[in-house]
Formats: sequence, C-alpha cells, structure tokens
Amino acid sequence: MTEARTPGAAALPQTPLMAADSSLPSVEMDPVEYTLRKRLPRKLPKRRNDVYVNMKTDFRAQLARCQKLLEGGGHREICVHGLGLAINRAINIALQLQASSQGALQLAANTSTVELVDDLEPDDPDEAGEPMTRTRNNSAIHIKVYYPSPQ
Amino acid sequence: MSGAKQRMREKKLSKQPASVQYTSSPLNSSQSGGSRNGRGTPMAGRHSSSYGASPGGPSDRGGWVRGHQKDGGDYEEELPKYITAAAFAVARASEVQAMLKAVTKVTGSCHVLGAIPKHMRRRAMSHNTKRLPCRLREVANRMREKSLEAGPKKKEQPKNKSRKARRRHGNLLLEFNRRQRKNVWLETHIWHAKRFHMLKKWGYCLGNRPTSKCYRACYRAMSNHCLLQDLSYYCCIELQGDEDKLLACLSQLTSKETGPTFAAVLTLSGQRQGSTTVYRAGQYPSQPLGPVTFLWRPRTPGSSHRQLWIWAHPALKQNLFPELQSVCQCREPIIPVVAPVVTPAEPTPSPPHPGPRQVEKTPGAKRKRSARDDDAPPGKKILGDGTRPPSAPVTWTSASTGILINDLTMEIVRYRLIGPQSHAVLTEALEAATDCDAVSKAQASPLWWPQHCKDQAQMTLHRQQAEVFQTLKGIYSTGEVPPGTVLGLNVEDPRLALPQKRTQALSIVTAEQDVDEKRRELMLKGVPEHCCQSSLWDRFVRDNVTDNKLSEQEINRRKREVLVPGSRLSPTPLQSRVPVLMVHQPGKQVGQEMSGWGAGWDLLLPKGWGMAFWVPLVYRGVRIGGLKMSLKHSQNKGAPHFPHDFPDCPAGVCFQREQETELLNKFKRRPPAKRTNYVKHGCLAPFRCPWQQLVEEWELITSEATEVGSSAERRGQSRGEPGVRPGPATAAPSSFSVLRSRKSLKLLSSWCRPTTSKGQRSLRAREQAPLDAASGAAFLTTHVRAVAWVRLSLLSKGRPELHAQVCVATQEDLQRLGNKEAAYSGPLEHPHKDRFKSKVKRRKKGNKKAAPAQTSSTTLPTSKASDPDPPLAPAACSLHPTSVSSGAVLRQTSASPSCPPAPAKGPSSSCAASPTNLVLGLWPDPLPSVTSHCSRVTLGWVTQGDFSLSAGCGEALGLVSLEGLVHTLMAQPAEQRGLVLLRNPSALHYRWAKINVEA
Repeated sequence: MTEARTPGAAALPQTPLMAADSSLPSVEMDPVEYTLRKRLPRKLPKRRNDVYVNMKTDFRAQLARCQKLLEGGGHREICVHGLGLAINRAINIALQLQASSQGALQLAANTSTVELVDDLEPDDPDEAGEPMTRTRNNSAIHIKVYYPSPQ
Repeated sequence: MSGAKQRMREKKLSKQPASVQYTSSPLNSSQSGGSRNGRGTPMAGRHSSSYGASPGGPSDRGGWVRGHQKDGGDYEEELPKYITAAAFAVARASEVQAMLKAVTKVTGSCHVLGAIPKHMRRRAMSHNTKRLPCRLREVANRMREKSLEAGPKKKEQPKNKSRKARRRHGNLLLEFNRRQRKNVWLETHIWHAKRFHMLKKWGYCLGNRPTSKCYRACYRAMSNHCLLQDLSYYCCIELQGDEDKLLACLSQLTSKETGPTFAAVLTLSGQRQGSTTVYRAGQYPSQPLGPVTFLWRPRTPGSSHRQLWIWAHPALKQNLFPELQSVCQCREPIIPVVAPVVTPAEPTPSPPHPGPRQVEKTPGAKRKRSARDDDAPPGKKILGDGTRPPSAPVTWTSASTGILINDLTMEIVRYRLIGPQSHAVLTEALEAATDCDAVSKAQASPLWWPQHCKDQAQMTLHRQQAEVFQTLKGIYSTGEVPPGTVLGLNVEDPRLALPQKRTQALSIVTAEQDVDEKRRELMLKGVPEHCCQSSLWDRFVRDNVTDNKLSEQEINRRKREVLVPGSRLSPTPLQSRVPVLMVHQPGKQVGQEMSGWGAGWDLLLPKGWGMAFWVPLVYRGVRIGGLKMSLKHSQNKGAPHFPHDFPDCPAGVCFQREQETELLNKFKRRPPAKRTNYVKHGCLAPFRCPWQQLVEEWELITSEATEVGSSAERRGQSRGEPGVRPGPATAAPSSFSVLRSRKSLKLLSSWCRPTTSKGQRSLRAREQAPLDAASGAAFLTTHVRAVAWVRLSLLSKGRPELHAQVCVATQEDLQRLGNKEAAYSGPLEHPHKDRFKSKVKRRKKGNKKAAPAQTSSTTLPTSKASDPDPPLAPAACSLHPTSVSSGAVLRQTSASPSCPPAPAKGPSSSCAASPTNLVLGLWPDPLPSVTSHCSRVTLGWVTQGDFSLSAGCGEALGLVSLEGLVHTLMAQPAEQRGLVLLRNPSALHYRWAKINVEA
C-alpha cells in the first residue's frame, strides 16, 4: 500500500538529495551546506501524438494510452519520449506496441541529451551562502512508432 | 324509543331490498327478511342495538359511545355485526352537510393567492393580477383595490433622492466611501462584488469564492494555465535606513535556524524575494508572529542607504508593526501635512468626509450646484487606506538609528498570477513602455516619464529590462525561472491595447539560437541585479503616476476617435507609462511529487491602477480565484497557510477562536435531531484543537514512560490530572510552539520515511542519525512542548476533513495492514455513549417546567454530587507509549468508551459551573484527556484537509505533537514507519495515512 503512493524514482525530480549533517555536534562539518532542489525538466510544446513516459504512472496504462492513439485516435505515428530512468520503459512500450501489432508498426529511435537545472540553496545563508545553480545532462530517447506508408 | 319512531323506521326498512340481510350474531339467526332484522324491539338485547339506529339518542348506552363513560364503563365484547345503510346515512347527513359547507366557504384569512396551488403561483402576482388565472382575477382585483385604499394610510418611507440622483457618479462615490469606512474595499471590489461571495475579514471586503461553480476549473487554471488573485490586502511596510543598522535590528526578529533571514545574500542584493518567519524580538523559538515575505531595493552605487519592503498578512500586521517599531526604536511619528488640495502628490488620500458634510449643510435645490462649485469634486474616490483618518501618522522615524518606518498599506496593488502560463499572460497583457518623442522630452513636464526619459542611464536600464521581459516570452513554464526572481519594468497602460475578445494567452516557444542563449541565462542566473530596479520604489514617481492616471472616460473618448475601431491607441498618451515590479513566486518546493506546482508571478502596481491592469489581465483568459482558492493553492503546494495553520501565532489563535464560534453557530443552527453527535463519535473538540492540552498530555505520557518505577498511586494522580485541569485557554496562551528549525525538520523527515520503499533510492546518500532511543531523546530535549507540521496523504480511500484526528496505530493494526488483507482499510472506533444527552434533556424539561433557570442549575449540582469520585481519565493516558500499541492496551482502551463512568465525570463538574454551554452532541468545556479518549491515542489534528486534485488522493495538512510523533516512530517497525491513522470528527472509521515531514 505504501509503495503505491510513494512514487518510484522517476524522470521527475525528487527534492532533497544532499542534505544537512546530523544535528549532533560534529567537529568536522562542511562549511556550507546546501539543499538541492531540482527543477522540472524543460517542457516542450506537445502535440497530440506525443507521449511522455514517466515512472509514476502504471506501465499498462501508458501502453494502453499509446495503443489508443494508434488505433482509435487515428494517428499514423506517435512519438514516445523517455528521460533518464524512463528510457527503459519507453523502449519497452515501443517494443510492446510493435509486438502487439504483428509487425505492422515500425520504430525509429533517436537519442538526445537534455539539460537539467538544479538549484543549490545554502542552509546557512548568512555566512558564505551564495545560492548556486548547476546544470547537468541526462539522456533521453525519442521513439517514433509509425505505420510505414504503403507504396 | 317511541312507537311513532319505530313505525317510521319500519317503514323505511321495508324499502330495503330483500337480498340485504344482516346477521347480528351467529346464534341469532334472523334470516326472515329485511323487515325483521332481529332488533325490532328494544328488548332484543344490548348487543343487537345497532349504531345507526339511534341517531339522536345519547342515552342509548348500547350503541357506540365516544370516549370513556363513567357509569357504563365496560364496552361490549362484540362489535355490532351489521348497520343499516339508510339510517347510517341519515345520521351522517348533517355532518356531511357541515363538511360541504366548510369546504365551500372561504375562511376569513384566505387570500386569493393562497387558493392557487404552489406550482401555479408566479412572482409579483398580487401586483399584476393578469398573472392570475381568469377565474380569480376579479377577486384579486377587489382585494388589490382594498389594499390600495388602505395603503396610503401607512407612512411612506421618505426617500429624499431619486434613484437617478443616487446613481449619479458623485453621489454614488459618496455612498461607496461611506460603506468602506469600516472595511476597506480593494480597487477591484466592484468587479469582485458582482461575481464573488464577499467576506468582511481583517478590515477588508474580500472575495471568498466565485458565485459560479468553478472549483475544478480554477484548479485546472492553476495547474495548466493561470489563476489571478487580488492580494492588495496584504500590507506592505517599508523600512529605510543604513543596511547594517537595518540588518542589526531585524536580526532580532528572525533566527537563522528557520531558514534564510533578511540578510541572505541573494535577497539582500535585491535579486530575489525572500521569505522568513518573524518572532517577537529575541524570543525564538517561542512567540512567533508569522511568516512574511520581503524585498530589498537593489543597492544604489555608493550609498549604504537601503529600502526594504516587508509584506505581511493584515492579521499579522497589527502584531508585527509595533514589534518593528520597538526593534528599530522608531517612536517619533511624522505627521503628514494634511491636504492642501493643490498638491496632488500628497501621500495620504484626501479625506472622504468634507464632501458629504458640505452636501448635508446646504439644503434643497442648491445642493448640487454648491457641491459643484467646490474646487474639490464632491466625492473623491478613496485610493489607498480610507479607514485611516487623514492626519494619522504613517511614518515613524528614529533619531538614534536613523531608520524610517513607513506604512504602505493599500499604497501598492499586488496581483498574484498562479500557474505555468502566468508569464505568458503577463507578457501578452503588458508591453514595455516606449520612449517618448523629442518634443515632449524637451519641454518641462509635471509627468515623470519625460523626465525619466531624459536620463540616459535610466533609459539603458529600461531597454535592458525590456529585453529580459521579451526573453520571458520564450519560456515554456513559469517554474523554469529561478524561484523568487524580481524584474522591474516600465510598462504602457494596458488599457490601450485591450483585445476585443477574451482570449487565452499561451507562451510562444521559439527555437532560435539567439533567443535560446538568453533564455538559458535567464533560467540559470535569473534576472541580472541591476534589472531589478524599478521606479515603483520611488514614492514621488508612484504618486505622480497615481495622480495623473487617465480616467476610463478619457481613454474611451480617445478610443472612439481612432479610425479603425478596436485598434491600438496611438500615439501613446504621456500619462500612460507605469512602473511595475514583477516578482516570481516559487511553486511547490517540498515533497517529491509535483515539484514546482503552483509557481507564478506577483505583479506590483502603484495604487489607483488596479482596475486598469485587472481587466486586461482578465481578457487574457485567466481564471479569478478568491480566498478559498488561495487556501487550496497552499494546500496543494504543501505549504502552511497563514492564519489557518499557525496556531502558535497570535493571529492564528485569534483565527481559531473565530473559526470555533463560526462552526459552533453553524452547528447550532441545525435542528438537534439532525446534528452530528460528536460525543458519540468520540470527538472531543470538533471545532477547535486544544493544542496546549495535547502537548501537555504527551509530555506527561513520555515522562511517565521514562520513570519506570513510578508507583501506581502517582500514576493515578497524573492520570486524573488532565481531567481536572482547568481549560487550556486559561493557561498561558501559547506555551507550545511549532517546530520550524530546518535542521530538526530534516532529521525528523528522514526518520519519517519508511526505509524500504521505492522512494528510498534517493536517500541513500544521506547520513543522518538513525532513529533510536538516544537520538530521539536528545532530539526531544532540544524541543520541548513542540508540535510539528506534517502532511498526511491517505493510503486508500477517504477524504480528511477539518479537525480530523491523527492517531497512533496499534501493533495489531499494523500487523493487519502488513498482511495485505484486501478489504482492510483501517480499524473502527466503537461508538461512545453520550452521557450528556439525558442532562441536556433534563435541563430542557426543567426550563420548560419552571421558567427560572435557577431551579435547573440547583438540581444539576445535586445530581452531580451523587458521584463524588474524582474525575478519571481513561487508562491509556498513563500508558507507556511504546506499549501503547500492545493488544492488552487496545482492549483496555477500547473498553473505556463503553464503560461510561470514566469519561463522564470530568465534564460533569463543569456543566454544573456553566450550565449554559451544554450543547447536545458536544463535550462541555473542560475536556477530559484528549489523547486517550478514543481507542487509538491521539497525536494531533488536521488543520486543512481535502481530496487533493494534484495527488489524486485525500491529503491533509496537520500538526502533531512532536513527542508523540517521535515516540510513535520509535515504536514502529522500520518498514511501516510513519504510518498513522486518521479519523474524521464525524466518522468512526480510521483510515491509514502516511506522515510526511517536509524540510
């Protein structure tokens, strides 16, 4: 039950990572402690046939959503995007779609790098604390799932 | 019966058809025809005399007799076996007659309108008789005439002004000014009053919720587009002085432990807005006042003189302001120069009073003219705070520190835009001001903009700001900007480019390389420091802009002259450049889901320009929210909302008191039979949360837990204590405090998380002190009598309500939960017994019988005196908190509600003292032990709870006793740590919830 509510570590950020030391008075402490806050990855305008895969939503639900788009939604192609941990799942979804279509669907995968932004907030603001922002990169995959056009 | 009568009857009966036969009894077989039916003679026996046969003979005791008869008390064993129809009918004839008469006759009070059935009634029928059906019209007409005749005799209410006169602009303004003497109106008041349920709160008239149904639409606006709120009621306090001195003074009010203070580097530079919690000077961690946000004006080079705006909730301001004054030693008021009308730049609004007084003085026909003759218009619209007398000081200074405090309440309009598209709304509605042409630059002008244009440095700054503003357009979501970013800007009057239709503003994301670079810089570094400067900080500019605002009428006139209708007004009038400040508001920063939710921008404007910006913003497709939505916003954000969730602040205490009376009155308005009986639900205080008592009781419990060898006697005493204790309100108002130290919260939050959940992955790097007895005890010694904010998310069904109980789960509960029974959603509380019901009833009866209340109050104590044993709280109070969850305890405690003597005694003495506050379904005042009243030990209460649309489950924000929480966590197994039970005040079902402490 607990697992159902707490989200899996996902493409979406989780807030506190690096945190303060224990409250116990330790001799050696990092002079500046930071709290890490991750900002959301940059969103791009979304077409109707874009599917952003995450780790929070149930796998089957996401698969069903893609199938609906391809069959009921009347789209000839959809784009499945996955970031970070969700790459695996995005690939899974695409392969499942292909398998269930008996070879009618084709895949075209692209990878890219997404820049993510983290905010580092100093816990002790008055001494040295200059809040920092850092960027890091994460991998992403974009899989085009489409019916090949009949020649 | 006389012979003649009998003959007559026989004659009648002879006409009966022969087939009709009556049998008087199975024995009496009188089947000889209709003429002889066995009762021919009076001697035929008592039982044979039929009912209908003796219409007028009351003396005939053989028939049916109504009521109880003294002499012939015994009724017949057998009912008459037959009646004669004709005789029966004759007997009823008179009754039927009477009935018919009654039906046809119109009773005295009957109105025509009352004669029509409900579904045929129409509005204003008595006024217009044609709305009546034809058949009734005549009567109605007659009645109407009658009433008209009677009408003029009544004294007509004298109305000295016609509606037209009253609606005339000046008079209307006077009326409006009169109406806001007590509760100030915001500038958007009339707009709101047409669309919102208004509330009078904190000296303002505020929109609570829209009259239309739009709860979900507003939520969608917050999460997808943009929600607009008028936050002008927030009070701004301006501090001016040397930076060092200001910081030295202000540091007394804050503590670094609670997070960044006024001195944090980025906020001090003016680049970011900061927020902090303010305490009474030097009193941390007790006596908090409340949260404030603040904004430093960027440094002017070569000067240490700084300007600081502190934004506070109006409920907080009345506590904060004296505190600031005493801290800064600002005691000398600067009395504002009252109003030569010639100087329009006078900061204090010109008083509304002279107008009405003059009007009253000059009677009759001259009224209008004389009012016009005055050089001041008859009613001047109140701008700023109208409740304040014009001569009241707004500025205080100090000779020793040189600090100047300025009360800028209602001087600056503040709008809040919430949602990912709020920057798009802003960029579409606002437009950076254009430079003014050379001609107007050359000549001296009373307006600020031409002068501003002359300064080259200012203009380069303006161009840079405009560039940043342009870049903002290319951002996809508001959450991408660094939290708290500030951007100053000069914009054009947004009324000039008002669209014809309401449209939805959306951001335009372009992928150009050049724009992308700038956008990236904005995202990473925020707005450069010098761009945070704005002329809005300058009082003279503010007043100049306010006074020279083009009126709506003037704008409309100019729009009419435009050749293409609906096109933009150009050239831009000189007056329509306004300095504004845009302040980014961070979204959800705590928790793991939905981070960045509810981010937005605040727009600060000079006063008087409220409506000029409001309508253009509305035309960009935003939703408008009221107070209720801001509560929901903070709830979804997981942030405490100011007066509601701060029970240790004076404003919070005051709010809780108000809330209690309000809820109690609402409760009392229900008919008693339809009320929830909270006593039966085991809910001691459904309308308030006795935090003080909770904290004290938990202190007792834990202290007993440590003293292992305490004697049973002592235990009994301490057990009794919570019941005996006088109401917690009589003790020091808030000797408990909410835990706000960042470090401790982080530690606590790491303790709360279950160690084997998927969410744990991110926490592996953390090296926190693991939770054990030693660290727990050490933690608790540093925070005595503390409560902690927690966010509770329900694991399964359920919607937490206000003041729901947070309870400790017993070992059995946890085991059952661990077994993964599908149907198990939580334990049930046994219904309690309402001991007070009989007392309430008895008192009611006593009141009815002998009107004076003294009789009942004298009878009550005697009834109480019969049970002399001291109040005894249920046993669980004294239990070892770690053993609280054992099965034996459960049985013991669950038995307590069913055994009535324990809970009943404590209050019994009280209701003798104050018999008036005995309300059916509520516990009277001195409550018994709040922790151990129910079968599960209470940890705390929920202050806001609802189904959270963002999380998709019930979520609540509540406070729990810190000691209770730590001990509960220690007792729980590691994989089920942080699970508690939640029970609504009107339910018996406990639901599982997960505690999240957010740091």
